[in-house]
Amino acid sequence: MTALDNYVAPTSLEEAVEQLLELGEVTILAGGTDLMPQANAGRVKFKRTLMNIRRIPELRGIAREGDEIRIGALATISEIMAHPLVREHLPLLVSAGDHFASNQIRNAGTLGGNVCNASPAGDTLVPLMVLGASVELASMLDDKLYRRTMQLPEFFVGPGKTRLATAELLAAVRIPVPPQGFVARFHKFGTRPALDISAISIGVGGVLKNGVFSDVRVAFGAVAPTPVCGCATEEALEGKKLDAATIAAAAVAARDEVHPISDVRASDWYRKEMIHNMTKRILEDVSTTH
Amino acid sequence: MPETIQKDSLIGKRITKLDAPEKASGKTRYIQDLDVQGQLYGKILRSSRVHAKIKRIDTSKAKALSGVHAVITAADVPYQRPIGVAKDHLPLKTDRVRSTRDEIAAVAAETEAIAEAALKLIEVEYEDLPILSDPNDALKPGAPLIHPEPHGADGSHEHLKQGMPIAYAGKPDNIAMTFDYEQGDVAAGERESDVVFEDTFFLHYVTHCCMGVSGIIAEFDSSGNLLLYSNTQVPFLHKREFAEILGMDPARIRIIQPPIGGGFGSKLDIYPFEPITVFLAKATGRPVKLVFTREEEFLASPTRQPVILTLRSGCRKDGTLTFRTVNTLHDNGAYTSWGATTPFVMMQTISSLYRVPHCLYHTKAVYTNNPYAGSFRGYGNLQATFAVEQHMDMMAEAIGMDPLDFRLKNAQDPGEVTPQGMHFKSCGLKECLKTAAAVSGYREKFKANQANRDKPGRIKRGVGIASMLHVGGGAKIYPSDGCGTILKMDDFGAVTLITGASEIGQGSETVLAQLVCEELGLPLSAVRVVNNDTEITPWDVGVHASRTTFIAGNSAIGAARKARGKILAAAAMQAGLNAEELDLRGGHIVETQSGKVVMTLSKLLRQLHFNDKAELVMTSFYYEPPSKHQDKKFKGDVSAAYAWATQVVEVEVDTDTGIVRLLKVTGAHDVGRVLNRLGIEGQIEGGIVMGQGYALTEELMVENGVVRNPGFRDYKLITAPEIPEMDVRFIETMDGEGPQGAKGVGEAPAICIAAATANAIHNATGVRIMALPFTPEKVYRALHAARKEAA
Ligand SMILES: Cc1cc2nc3c(=O)[nH]c(=O)nc-3n(C[C@H](O)[C@H](O)[C@H](O)COP(=O)(O)OP(=O)(O)OC[C@H]3O[C@@H](n4cnc5c(N)ncnc54)[C@H](O)[C@@H]3O)c2cc1C
Repeated sequence: MTALDNYVAPTSLEEAVEQLLELGEVTILAGGTDLMPQANAGRVKFKRTLMNIRRIPELRGIAREGDEIRIGALATISEIMAHPLVREHLPLLVSAGDHFASNQIRNAGTLGGNVCNASPAGDTLVPLMVLGASVELASMLDDKLYRRTMQLPEFFVGPGKTRLATAELLAAVRIPVPPQGFVARFHKFGTRPALDISAISIGVGGVLKNGVFSDVRVAFGAVAPTPVCGCATEEALEGKKLDAATIAAAAVAARDEVHPISDVRASDWYRKEMIHNMTKRILEDVSTTH
Repeated sequence: MPETIQKDSLIGKRITKLDAPEKASGKTRYIQDLDVQGQLYGKILRSSRVHAKIKRIDTSKAKALSGVHAVITAADVPYQRPIGVAKDHLPLKTDRVRSTRDEIAAVAAETEAIAEAALKLIEVEYEDLPILSDPNDALKPGAPLIHPEPHGADGSHEHLKQGMPIAYAGKPDNIAMTFDYEQGDVAAGERESDVVFEDTFFLHYVTHCCMGVSGIIAEFDSSGNLLLYSNTQVPFLHKREFAEILGMDPARIRIIQPPIGGGFGSKLDIYPFEPITVFLAKATGRPVKLVFTREEEFLASPTRQPVILTLRSGCRKDGTLTFRTVNTLHDNGAYTSWGATTPFVMMQTISSLYRVPHCLYHTKAVYTNNPYAGSFRGYGNLQATFAVEQHMDMMAEAIGMDPLDFRLKNAQDPGEVTPQGMHFKSCGLKECLKTAAAVSGYREKFKANQANRDKPGRIKRGVGIASMLHVGGGAKIYPSDGCGTILKMDDFGAVTLITGASEIGQGSETVLAQLVCEELGLPLSAVRVVNNDTEITPWDVGVHASRTTFIAGNSAIGAARKARGKILAAAAMQAGLNAEELDLRGGHIVETQSGKVVMTLSKLLRQLHFNDKAELVMTSFYYEPPSKHQDKKFKGDVSAAYAWATQVVEVEVDTDTGIVRLLKVTGAHDVGRVLNRLGIEGQIEGGIVMGQGYALTEELMVENGVVRNPGFRDYKLITAPEIPEMDVRFIETMDGEGPQGAKGVGEAPAICIAAATANAIHNATGVRIMALPFTPEKVYRALHAARKEAA
């Protein structure tokens, strides 16, 4: 670990973005569950200043704002899983949390950290993409607090790389309240039931009416440098009846559109097979329970 | 004072481990927590290459760093001597590195951070050599030689002499060790066979993953005496080894073992970091502490022996086994540690788990640039059992016999002396087989699952059985397998039990205290165990081979009986009674028949102590088990008793993913007798989980000599939700030599799981996999291939 020159702990969002602009070289610390192990392993070098963002009230909280649910960047995985708004409207996030790390990590790890860490295997990213989420980014512009939003798929550039600007902070994640009839599934496929990194993950969501699936969104994790949309799979499903033929075609489309790598966790071939089999399993589950 | 006390026994009770309160409350001071006044911190620079010549080492920048007290390389310790089982391993490497764990230089500094920073300042220039990473290639012509004749840093050969250890003299081929064993005539056996199978089994790298990583503190006093705080499992053998390496008088070396955070065999050998820490202490004149990081523990502690095992076996139609031929290739890694000697145990399973008239066994351990294997709970037996017990199922199927009946037909009986010379004075194998099968419903489930295989449904259930034989009464590996005890009673009736046997978390001090209390009629709270200081404790060969309860237990009982004799004699004299009619119960001397209290023990002890002939009750006893060294052909009765077990494993295989879930393990263990029920349950449950990790999830991935997953993120230990339901039954055969009839059980529970799981997967799916571990991808591939073949 490298020695730090400076430590700051701003107590408002405005103060934080001001300091970001002023200090330039800053490492942001939220729950630290990615940052600390990465730093210890020498994979991340601390910049000159360490900024603890945990005292910024604006980054906390989960609330409904119009047609959106805004989840503050500092919301922990545990908080998200327990929150009534999430449980009512975004059960997909609850099920993602269910397979996320361990209780200890869920209590410390934040949604903002998971998003900014931009791991292709980050377990909230695929569900957030299926839910059509966008990120709210805060910075200082002309001496004023400035916020912009960006659709999630656009935000991710590569493993650990995002479009977050140097003096920018992720303030929140915004999720449109899903429409009537929206059903969604997330499947994390690891090789053991607890404390595992996804070998692949799949999220599927859409509106199911009279057996017909529409507004379909599909996303895959751990099959590319970033979580990716499953456009071909979406196409295979959009406006179709969820019958055996559709499901089989969608599973094949899913397998054919991903290009995973081989690593210590799984081979590319196995990942493709699992994308196929798990897509099929998810869709069968949707078609039989709704 | 009570009037009468009836006989009460501690044997078989559930007794909390003596060290549990300290451990559970976080108060135990492991080596990590131990600091010595004035200590420096040691760190080791390891090779960044798999196989290379060392062209140049420049430590000047590291030496110049403030806070650094010493930076040493091989050039600084010309007196260093080779270590290890084959003496092929110099702690600090001279002319070349042979694996990525190789030690090139070491630093002692004021803080760990400074030591770490200094390592980064050491410059090493390498010249890469061709890498030998596949043991199959080791003997091919033109294979890179791992231990060629070394050239000193100056290129000279002058120090080389004939008859020198490999580390000095080199080795003209890559063969590290061979084992050959023969009984009967396998060709004749094969002629009698109706069914013959030959298959090759692949056993992988796993490592111990002790919660407490390796560490040592070395300190010289002003007279040059060396004090080591060490996690070793063999303190007395290490005294001698350290003396040899350092050219010191062994009498000047003292080893204190702080509480050890797990051993499982990993701390049975000397490793380079230990002498290196001593070198640093010598170079700086200060105590030096060196503790591994977790990553270092993965990279530089030993592994279980990886094996490629080809087994050919046969039987007759009536189910009689006829012969077995085994050829194994042991990947020895770059240096030789205990892993190379696992054939000692493997051949016992091959020759004697079941009755086989004809056996031929060959092992070659070959040098490669891979990590090297040490001893690991089971010591080759998991590997041998994996192959043998799969073939048992395959042969049973081929002759249309129930796998349980097939095993029962060939199982050993008490009294048997096997062709290898092992004498099974007590043997519960048949009872283990019958009990495990009956309790688990093996027969019915086996048939039902088989019938279910080809029905629709992605989840398949399977049940598998496997048995094991392991030494349970010590193991005659060294010239002596004994253990000494000193027992002292104070004038309040409290006992100090001073034993040579080390505690590594297995609960030995509790069971030893219990055995002593049983003899002396005392509550457990009356005993303190001293077991961790070579200056105080009597000699013991070390904690390995599931021997401690048996050997140290018998030794403790011997000392306790002597004390008991002294006390009862004195009491008889005072009370004018016959010593044979007296007993010790609840801290009192009583009449054996009636239980009538004669006097209080503590009072008697004080009288003995303070009367004019002043006598302290103090005894010593040494127990050497009645086992024999094997002859040169590996025949002999190496243990005073043998342990047996059968485990039945039930699995669920998801054919969509290849995920194998262990649902239930039913075990029947011939443990001789249960001493501490809580302790033995813990030991067996822990062993089952360790076996489960070996079977399903754990793998140290070594690719071209490089460990790819040196951390718990991708080295997958079993987590709590994966642990199966367990139903463990104890078969009490009351071994005549065992302490209160008990036999060793430390290694047994880990041995059968992988074999039984393989059989269960086959029962579920019809697919047989002969390579471990059964990761989802491996299982899925096998299922996929089978489906393709069928289509
Ligand atoms: C044992 C273990 C198990 C794990 N299991 C899982 C798992 O199953 N699934 C999974 O997805 N992850 C897992 N993780 C990873 C990690 O816990 C999650 O990614 C977590 O959500 C990270 O949140 P954090 O608050 O701890 O992030 P931090 O470590 O604090 O930060 C992560 C990164 O994001 C940046 N950052 C954080 N917040 C902001 C912000 N508001 N604005 C700008 N930048 C920011 C930091 O600078 C850093 O680069 C695991 C980690 C551990 C140690």
